[in-house]
Order: sequence, then structure tokens, then C-alpha cells
Amino acid sequence: MYGWIWRHLPGNAWVRALISLVLVLAVVFVLFQYVFPWAEPLLPFNDVTVDEGSGATP
Amino acid sequence: MRSRWAPPRDRVRPDVLLRLAVRTFSEVCLTAGTLIVLFVVYVLVWTGVKADRAADGEMARLRDSWAAAAPPTAPAAPAAAPAPAPAPAPAEPRYPAGRAFAEMYIPRFGPDWVRPVLEGTDPELLKKGLGHYPATARLGAVGNFSVAGHRRTYGDPFKDFPRLRPGDQVILKDAGTRYTYTIRGGPLRTLPTDVAVVEPVPPKSPFTAPGRYLTLTTCDPEWGHSHRLVVWAELTGTRPAAEGGPEGSSR
Repeated sequence: MYGWIWRHLPGNAWVRALISLVLVLAVVFVLFQYVFPWAEPLLPFNDVTVDEGSGATP
Repeated sequence: MRSRWAPPRDRVRPDVLLRLAVRTFSEVCLTAGTLIVLFVVYVLVWTGVKADRAADGEMARLRDSWAAAAPPTAPAAPAAAPAPAPAPAPAEPRYPAGRAFAEMYIPRFGPDWVRPVLEGTDPELLKKGLGHYPATARLGAVGNFSVAGHRRTYGDPFKDFPRLRPGDQVILKDAGTRYTYTIRGGPLRTLPTDVAVVEPVPPKSPFTAPGRYLTLTTCDPEWGHSHRLVVWAELTGTRPAAEGGPEGSSR
């Protein structure tokens, strides 16, 4: 997988390394910006209210 | 006749195939591991960074709105004594939903601990600060001013919740007034369905008659959601916000 990507990147080794770094950073950015915020509410840390805020009071 | 050093594509040697499979499998494992580590970093660190930034933004907006709305109570003229002027409105309008309307200080959590209190308990709001149950009383009013906050993640605002003890102070400051509540009961561990804890006179609390109360809720297993922790407090003092106070928090 990674070997395949490496072989298909253009340029010499330095250019490929640079492009790889950019790709890695882009992936991390997408994860932190979009994927993890979507996945995080599936974990239980958000439940801090009684009755989930719906008619929590008289 | 084909040479042995250039096998045809459709007849890949089995050891090459096996090597490819093993390599791909290990790459997938490494990728999954990296993803998990990154997600842990996100939950433990990055949500806190985001929450602190959002809380700072909310507090800055709050102070700007206070400065704009109440020039007579500016700290420049503390002796001018328009003290009774910023009394809370007798009618009980709701706070604007989704907006911060007060700051909370809890000296037990440290001198630097301060969080904005927003109107509403949606998860999106709790990412920015503490959330006021919209159906509960206003600050300082008769009833039960109830607030929920994260125990873990998003800045860990209520991480030290179990350390709260009766006698601890919970200080809230809005545009004109500084409310000091003193904890009387809790921390009590209860179930998420126990909505009575935010009633005007909560049944399990030490209170028996209507009064000016405060309830804080958070989740109980530190990283779980099976229970809730609750403390109850009672209003023990109000004074104009401009005076500041000796309770340990100078702001």
C-alpha cells in the first residue's frame, strides 16, 4: 500500500518525501477536523446531564 | 520459451503473493494503530485545546457585552455606588439560548479555574463551557439554578468534582452581580434518569423548603456515562460584581 503510493509519487526521493509529508499532514488534518469530531460523540463522555436535557425540570 | 527471471504476470510465484499479503496486512495494522493513537490524542488533548479556546472566546464576548451594556458599573468608579441598580429583573425571562451569560468560579478546583456558563445543555454548547438547564431557575432566583459540565474531555472542567465538599463555595458572576453559593449536599452518585435532582427542592438534597439553590451535575465513572454526580448548594451572598471579592478569586 505505502510502497505503491511511494512508487507512484513523482520526482526523486526528496520530492517524494516532501509530498509524503504533505499527504500525512493532510490526512491528520482531515481526521482532526472532520472524522474525529464525528466519531467522538459516539463515546460516552458527552452524557453529563440528567435525562439528556429533555424536560430535565419540572 | 520464457526465461525464469521474467515470469509472466498471470503466474506470480506463491512466495511473492504471500509476501505481498503479509506486507499489506502489517501496513493495515500499523495504520489502524496510528489511527487509534491519533484519536486518543484528539480526545485527551485536542478537545481540551478546542474547549479552552472556545471558553476564552465566550468569556471575552461576555465581558465585552457586560462592558457595553453596563457602563455605570465599570470598575473605574467603584465608589460611585450604584450598587442596588443592577438588581436582577423581577420578572423571570429566560436567558438567550446558546449564549454565555455568567462566569463560574470554584475555588476548590484551583484559583485559576473559571468557566463560562451557557444557556442550554446541548453537547455542542458543553464543548464551550458549562451548560445551564434552561428550564431551571435564573441566577440568584428562588428555585434551583442547575448547571451541567464535562467531567472528562473538552477541557475536563469538572474533573475534580468528587473533591467538592459541603462548605465549598461556588461563585457565579453575571453582568452586575456576584452570587456566592455554598455547597450543602453531595457529591451524590445517582442515575441519569434521576431528573428530580434539578427540581426546585430536590428530594435527595438537604433542602426541605423552597430557596435559592444551585445544582451541579456531571457524569460519574470518570470516563463513562452510567451514573451522574450531583452537588447541591445554597445562595449565601450576593454583592455587586464590581466590588470583587475576598473569596480567593480576584476576578
